[in-house]
Amino acid sequence: MPLHLAPQIDPTLRSALDETVLLTQLADAMGSPLGVVLPQQLAENVTAFRSVFSDHRLSGQIYYAHKANRSSALVRELAATDAGIDVASLAELQHAVGAGFVPQRIMATGPKNEEFLWLCARTGVTVSADSIGELAALATLVRDWSLPRVRVMARLSGFTSTGVQFNSRRSRFGVSAAAVGEVLDVIEKHVEALDLVGVAFHLDTIGLPEKAVALEGCLGALDECRRRGLRPWSVDIGGGFGVNYLADGAQWEQYTSALTEAVLGRRAPLTWNGHGYGLRAEGGHVRGSLNLYPAHRPVSGPAYLDRLLGTAAPEQRRPLGTLLLDNMYDLLVEPGRALLDQCGLVLASVLEVRDEANGDTIVRLDCNARDVSLEEHGVLMDPVVVHRTTPAAPGPAAVYLFGNLCLEADLITRRRVFLPSRPRPGDLLAFVNTAGYLMDFSATHALRQPIGRKVALYRDDGGWRWCLDEQYWPVHHRAEAP
Amino acid sequence: MRFESMTEAIGNTPLVRIDPAVHGLHNIDLYAKMELLNPFGSLKDRAAWNMVRPLLTQAVESGDTVVELSSGNTAKALAVIAGMHGLTFKSVTNRMKVAEIKDLLLLLGAEIDELPGQAECLDPTDTDDPLTRMYHRLAGSSGGYLHTDQYFNELNVDAHLNGTGPEILKDLDGRVPDYFIACVGTAGSSTGVAAVLRQHNPDVRVVGLVAHKSDFIPGIRTIDEVHEVGLFDPDVYDTVETITADDAIDGLLTLVRRCGTLAGPTGGGAYQGAVRHLRGVDAQLTERRTAVFIVCDRVESYMSYLRERRPELFGRPPRRNSVRTVTDADVRQAATVDVAEAERWIAERRGLVVDLRSPFAYQALHIDGSINIVDELFAELLHGGLPFGRRQPVLLVCPVGEKSARYAALLTRMGHPDVRSLDGGIIAWRDAGAELVRD
Ligand SMILES: Cc1ncc(COP(=O)(O)O)c(C=O)c1O
Ligand SMILES: Cc1ncc(COP(=O)(O)O)c(C=O)c1O
Repeated sequence: MPLHLAPQIDPTLRSALDETVLLTQLADAMGSPLGVVLPQQLAENVTAFRSVFSDHRLSGQIYYAHKANRSSALVRELAATDAGIDVASLAELQHAVGAGFVPQRIMATGPKNEEFLWLCARTGVTVSADSIGELAALATLVRDWSLPRVRVMARLSGFTSTGVQFNSRRSRFGVSAAAVGEVLDVIEKHVEALDLVGVAFHLDTIGLPEKAVALEGCLGALDECRRRGLRPWSVDIGGGFGVNYLADGAQWEQYTSALTEAVLGRRAPLTWNGHGYGLRAEGGHVRGSLNLYPAHRPVSGPAYLDRLLGTAAPEQRRPLGTLLLDNMYDLLVEPGRALLDQCGLVLASVLEVRDEANGDTIVRLDCNARDVSLEEHGVLMDPVVVHRTTPAAPGPAAVYLFGNLCLEADLITRRRVFLPSRPRPGDLLAFVNTAGYLMDFSATHALRQPIGRKVALYRDDGGWRWCLDEQYWPVHHRAEAP
Repeated sequence: MRFESMTEAIGNTPLVRIDPAVHGLHNIDLYAKMELLNPFGSLKDRAAWNMVRPLLTQAVESGDTVVELSSGNTAKALAVIAGMHGLTFKSVTNRMKVAEIKDLLLLLGAEIDELPGQAECLDPTDTDDPLTRMYHRLAGSSGGYLHTDQYFNELNVDAHLNGTGPEILKDLDGRVPDYFIACVGTAGSSTGVAAVLRQHNPDVRVVGLVAHKSDFIPGIRTIDEVHEVGLFDPDVYDTVETITADDAIDGLLTLVRRCGTLAGPTGGGAYQGAVRHLRGVDAQLTERRTAVFIVCDRVESYMSYLRERRPELFGRPPRRNSVRTVTDADVRQAATVDVAEAERWIAERRGLVVDLRSPFAYQALHIDGSINIVDELFAELLHGGLPFGRRQPVLLVCPVGEKSARYAALLTRMGHPDVRSLDGGIIAWRDAGAELVRD
């Protein structure tokens, strides 16, 4: 029985996929792999997040975590909305400014070198400081260069809870929440250089209880600020709202159950070399844990934010959203993956379809595992076959997807994929919903192969139009009906 | 019955016949093994005591902490037993989802360690399951722990091999039941009982019940998770079937409402799973058969679980003066004042300012002279009537002026003639630059 993992495809992405002639022409002209982004969908996703803010009567800002995709079209389209942007490198900051973001809409996060800090201070963006050292370095820059006072956020980590101990994975980033006093000492010492506007956290977890502890910990830190006469008004809860990649939860359940059975040897392997995605068999029992993105996540993105805001704070036992509002705090979020939900796809050409003597079928693609990094990010999701003519054979085809590097490990996915129909050489596989981290986050020039080009697809005047990603600006509505 | 210690009261639970009028099986006598009557509340009392007892003297001598990966009944029993012997107990868990059980453990003096949730960005270095992580932690510490290791400890099975199983046989006058049905958590109880029954009659049919994959039934494993359990051997069971949370609750309701048995969800699941399995067999039978299932624990710890899944079971009559009954039309009628007017009203000390925000937020910053009654409490007070006189003018304050308008409307409806709401709330007040104080 084929084990499909059909992707969730919303109407806009569906309509783009239906343009098979356009897609094959683009792939022919631009080469394989080809990244396709849908900037207008990003604007819709911003609106969906905004409506959660207004449902909870909260004000604040949505900062798109730029790291999720290198595209210019996405950033420029975003500049046309009311959202902000979270930049994590000097080049991302330059990119954002060039796309039209004024400094008030930019938040700089992550570890920063001196040049990055200097440009932050010079342009006047908000700096989310990772450490006390970073705050001190920033204050020195401001003084030495006679720059205006910089708006800063203090990123905290290592929050503690009372009663039940919620353990969080150790984070490389942020100042221990217990040491917030030291942060404030530095801020007060450099009061002419640093203007504390809020506190922040970003936890790499899907667990609501840990985030609830962290959010309440931020409220405690802000109270300490107020006790000292400081008046920061913002809490930045970072990203990690997640995406629901799969259309059908039952398929995900069937697949993961089958994987468990395969690891135990109770059914034929589902993967190359019996890879277990973190599971292994020991004495007839399964050990390890499934090291995969939870691809079926019905509560994700804006819905996850809504759920978090409705969660009661562990100590004060009042919904977190209500507490933010009670305290008049602005809520800041930095979604990357979730804002790019349904915002793009990667096209790859089929070079060869070959049946091996052992019964395996191999589909060799003109792209590698870095170009569509599903495997690296643990996302199991089937590609869509874009046929130029007709399928090579009726019915589903179970295939392994090989990449174009001369590496044994260059499988697009180690999983045997059940394609809905058998492709022919020249057909395309569309890896949909890959705009967030799965498109160009890891792409490299290994073997001097080019990194895939990128185009923006947008709807205008009732039809789909396209341009090179770097040519896209939101002002394309030339042919608007009179 | 006279005992020296509560641990002596573990075991020897009754086997009780379920009224055929309730289960509707014609040719099968269905018995429940009432493990809920164990002194600490569940079947796991047996395993906990059996696993700890041989190590107790040593542990007391060195003051060890008892640790176990448990989210419920084993933790509860171990916490009690540890406490009886002056030891601490620590429960490590990633699935403590039932609030009452958490609270009970804290009450018993247990420490609870919650393992982190799954990473949002994949971390390829993180391949360990909770149990492996716990082993690492124990190996990394320099001793001081008594780890009962219920998922792998054969003494868990032995507790039922020597206790639960023989008791069932004795109470059936030495006859082996034709069917034995049990939920699988660590698999200790089902494995132990099945072994005893098979020794006496290899033809007994053993049905293991696990939770449907996407469902959470506290105390047992899902169809996938069960393979992680060290004691789980698929050959013990003639068949492993799944039950849903809905099945478990349906069964629970039958047991608590009709059978005098205050069973928890897995008891209900075992009943429901048993009847479902047996109903198919019953129709073809020509002679009488016997079946036994286990009622593992009690219902009282699962109120929040039940409330979340079946709110209609807890339907209460509506309370009077509920803010939920205020209509949008009522709200539009409510009197409001803007920030400038409110500042004058307050400066002239015209009445009482009630801030409906949380105490924490109020203490951080508030309007000078206001008092704080958080909205939940205010709502509670209003169920009883007006908490201040009709001649007492009132100004209500909340974050954005929505809640205060609803309460102003409600107070007006309750007959208060002089109540108003701050338009735009305290956020508008702040944005207008009006004064906020902190005492
Ligand atoms: C500080 C910070 N904010 C936001 C994000 C974005 O996270 P996500 O794309 O999961 O929403 C990240 C991701 O690494 C991050 O480190
Ligand atoms: C409520 C409940 N039911 C059933 C079981 C299953 O028992 P066993 O662990 O012996 O399989 C447990 C075990 O933890 C439990 O807590």
